[in-house]
Amino acid sequence: MNALRAKALVEAGLLLRLSGDMAGAEKLFARALELDPGNARARRLLGRDGGPEQGADTGWNLAAPDLEADWGAWAGPSAPGPVEAPLRESVSLPEGTGMPGDALDLIAEAHRTQEFGLPDTFTPAGGLPEGSEVESLLRGAEDLLALDDHSGAVELLRRAQSLAPENPRVEALRDRSERILVSMLEARLGDLNRMPRVRLQPDDIIWLNLDHRAGFVLAQIDGAVSFDDLFALSGMSRLDTARILAQLLDEGIIAPGE
Amino acid sequence: MAAESEPLIGIDLGTTNSLVATVQDGQPIIIKNRTGQPLTPSVVAVSKNGKRLVGGIAKRQAITNPQETVSAAKRLIGRKFSSHPVQDALRALTYQVVCGQHDDVRVRLAGRDLAVPEVSAMILAELKADAEAHFGRPVTQAVITVPAYFNDGQRQATKDAGRIAGLEVLRIINEPTAAALAYGFGRTVNGKIAVLDLGGGTFDVSVLEINNGIFDVVATGGDTFLGGEDWDHRIMEWMVFGFAKEHGIDLRKDRMALQRLKDAAEKAKVELSSVKETQVHLPFICTPPGGGAALHLQSTLTREKLEDLTADLGERLVGITSEVLGEAKVRPSDLKEVILVGGMSRMPRIVEQVRQYFRREPCKGVHAEEVVALGAAIQAHALVGQQSELLLLDVTPQSMGVAIAGGYVRRLIPRNTTVPTSATEVFATSKDFQRTVKIMVLQGEHELAHHNELLGEFLLTGLREAPRGQVEIEVTFDINAEGIVSVSARDRDTGLRQSITVTASSGLTEDELRRIMDEQRDWMVAARNTEELKSKRVELDTLARDLVDALSRVRLMPGAGGLPPDVVARAEAALDQARQARGVEDVGALTRACEALAQSLPLLRSAGPRGTPGR
Repeated sequence: MNALRAKALVEAGLLLRLSGDMAGAEKLFARALELDPGNARARRLLGRDGGPEQGADTGWNLAAPDLEADWGAWAGPSAPGPVEAPLRESVSLPEGTGMPGDALDLIAEAHRTQEFGLPDTFTPAGGLPEGSEVESLLRGAEDLLALDDHSGAVELLRRAQSLAPENPRVEALRDRSERILVSMLEARLGDLNRMPRVRLQPDDIIWLNLDHRAGFVLAQIDGAVSFDDLFALSGMSRLDTARILAQLLDEGIIAPGE
Repeated sequence: MAAESEPLIGIDLGTTNSLVATVQDGQPIIIKNRTGQPLTPSVVAVSKNGKRLVGGIAKRQAITNPQETVSAAKRLIGRKFSSHPVQDALRALTYQVVCGQHDDVRVRLAGRDLAVPEVSAMILAELKADAEAHFGRPVTQAVITVPAYFNDGQRQATKDAGRIAGLEVLRIINEPTAAALAYGFGRTVNGKIAVLDLGGGTFDVSVLEINNGIFDVVATGGDTFLGGEDWDHRIMEWMVFGFAKEHGIDLRKDRMALQRLKDAAEKAKVELSSVKETQVHLPFICTPPGGGAALHLQSTLTREKLEDLTADLGERLVGITSEVLGEAKVRPSDLKEVILVGGMSRMPRIVEQVRQYFRREPCKGVHAEEVVALGAAIQAHALVGQQSELLLLDVTPQSMGVAIAGGYVRRLIPRNTTVPTSATEVFATSKDFQRTVKIMVLQGEHELAHHNELLGEFLLTGLREAPRGQVEIEVTFDINAEGIVSVSARDRDTGLRQSITVTASSGLTEDELRRIMDEQRDWMVAARNTEELKSKRVELDTLARDLVDALSRVRLMPGAGGLPPDVVARAEAALDQARQARGVEDVGALTRACEALAQSLPLLRSAGPRGTPGR
C-alpha cells in the first residue's frame, strides 16, 4: 500500500516540478521516500543517488521565481529574531480545533467555518478509480497540505480539476486550499487598506524579471490605490493578485505604504 | 451667535466625469475628491470580488471588467428604452441594458437590474461624500446641472438620482447657463453668447441670450458621440499600430494591455496640451505568444503627431458648431462672447480652430472642465442667499402644447417660460358631427407632433353634434411652482370638462423610488459596518501576531521571564477570545478582543531573560 502511495506521490511531484514548484516537488519526493524507502525513483529525483533525473529541465518561465515557493513560510512572522527559531515556520492547516499559539491560525480559523462540506473523514481519492491520475494528484495535494505547502497543493488541485472538472471533492479541496493560501498571502501584505507605492525608478523597472500580469499590477500602483482596491481592479482572481503583490513586496519592488 | 449655515454644493454630473463645487468665503471653488483629484469619473462598477466601485477605481478596471462596469449612464437617464437615442447608445455599451416595466431603461449590474437614476445616484453619493469630507459635516442640498436639451423626464430622473443619493436638489440648471454664470456674464453681458462644451464623450453647442440676468437658451445642438475619448482612441490606435509593426503582436487582443494603453493615451493627451512631446512608457505590456521575457512599449508622441492623428475630429467640431449656429440663424459676429468648456478645450489645436471660426479669442478659464460645477455652486449659493441678480428663474426647459389636426403641434407654453404659469387657447372640432376630441399633451420644439415627447393624453366626450369648426374647446395648461402640469379641456357649449395631471417621470414610480432609497440606506449602513469589521480584524491580526511572538519568547525563557503564571494564562485566554471574535461579524466582540490582546501585550513584553521581569 505504501509503495503504491509513494508511486502516486512521485507522479504528483513530477507534475509540480514541471510547473516550476521545485520546493513542493521535493517535499513530495521526500514523503514518497519516507513511505517507501526502496523507491529508487524518488531517491533519484531527490538527487540522493548521485545525480538528477534526466529530462528534469522544465523550461519553466523564471518570470516568477519565488512565487511558487512555500507560502506558509512566506506568510509567517516577517522579522524572525534569534529567539524565534522554535516557532513553526508555517501555518498548520486548521483541522479539528486548531493549534493555539499562532496568530495565522486566527486567519485560517475564519476559513474553517466555511469549509464547503468537506467530510471529517476526507478521502481525497473517493469516487475515483484507484491509480488514476486524478487520484495521484489528490494524494499529492493531501500530502503537500500536510506539509503546509498550499501553493504546491493548489497547483496539483488545479491540474486535478482540469482532469475531473465535476468532481466535488476536488473542487472543495481546491477551494479550501486557495482560500487558505489567499489568507496567508494577505497576511503577508498586512493591512489591505494601505496604499503601496513603487520603490524603483521607471528606468530600473524595465530590468526586472516580471511577466505582463505583474507588469499590469505594477502599473496600477501609484500610491493612491490600496491593496484592497488593487484586488478589485486587477481583473484577476484574488489568489493570482495576492501572489503578484506578495512577490512585488518581497522583491522590494513596492513598499506597503501608509 | 448665528448657527453655521448648511453647506451647499453645485454638481456637474457629466457623461464622462463629474465635479462638485461650493462657494467658500465668497469664492466658488472645486472640492477635490478623496484621492485629491478634481474630477471623478462617472463610472460605476462591481468588481469580480463583488465590491462596489465608483469613480477613478471603477474607470481603471473598465476594460478588464467591461460587463460589470457602467459608464456614460447620462446618455440613458430619463429616456424610454424604445427611444432612438437609447437604441443608438446600446451599440456602444459594453454592459447589459434591459427594458423596464414602463419602457424605462434598466442596467444589469452584478445580476441586478438597476434603474438609471440608481446608477447616477452612486456617483452623486460619491460626490456628496467628498463634499462631506471637505466640510466635515453632512451635506444635503445641491444644485445639479444637465444639458440644455434635457427634457422634463430627464431632469426629473436626475432629481430622483439626487434623492436616492440623499440630496435635496434645490434646482436643476442648464450646463451652458452654469458656465456663463461662472464667468459672471449674468451681470456683465447683454446679448448672445455661444458655449462650446467638449467633454469626454459629448460635444454640446449652445447659444444663450442674456438679457438683464435672464438666460434664454435659443439654440442647442451637438454630437452626443464626440468627445475626448475619440482623441484617446486615436492615440491608442497609433500605439497599437507601432507595437504591431515592431513586434508583430496585436495588443488589442489583451484586455490588460488595452486598459494600460487607454490610461496612457489619456495621460499623453492631457500632457500634450502643455508640452510639445511626451514619452509613453509601458513596461511589461505583454508576453510574447511563445513565452519568453515580457515586452515593453516605449515611444514618443509629439503634439504635432497628435494633431495630425486627430485633424478630422477637430474639423467635425467646427462643422457641428457651424450647423447649430446656422439653424439658429446666428452669425459668429452676432456673438458677444464664446465660452470653451470641458477638458478637451485645453488642447491648443482646438482653441486655434475655435478662434479661427469665430474670429475672436474664446473665453476659457484656467480649468475649463470646472466652470460648469462652479456655476452650479454659485447658483446654489444665490438660491439660499436670495441674491436676486444671480438667481436663475425656474423655467420650462422645452415648449408644451397639444397635437392638432394634420399631425402638427400647437404650442401653448413656449420654452423658458417662468413657472408658475398658465395659458388658455380655444380650439375647434376638425370633423363634421365630431363627438369626441383627443387631447395629446406634448413637449418639445419640433413642429411635427410625433417628434415631440408625449407627456399624456385624454378624451373629452359628449360634444354637441355640429359641423366642423362650430364646437369650441377651451384648453388650459397650468404649471405650478413644483413643475406639475395640469391640462384641462372644456366644451364651451355644455361646460363638460376633462383634465389630466402630468408629472414629469423618470421612469420610476414613487414606490420604486422609496424602495431604492431604503435599499441605498441599508447598503450604506452595511458598507460602513463592513469597513469597520475589516479594520478591526486587521487590528486584531496585528495585535494577535505580536502577542504570539511575545508569548513564544516568554515560553523559551527560564521561569517564563519571571512573569507571574496568570500573565501567560491571561494572554492565552486573550488569544482564544480573539480567535472566537474573528469568526463572528460583531464589531463589539472584535473591539473587546483587541482590548484584551492590547492589555496582555505590554505585560508579556516586560518579561526579562534571566527570570526577572525586565523593563
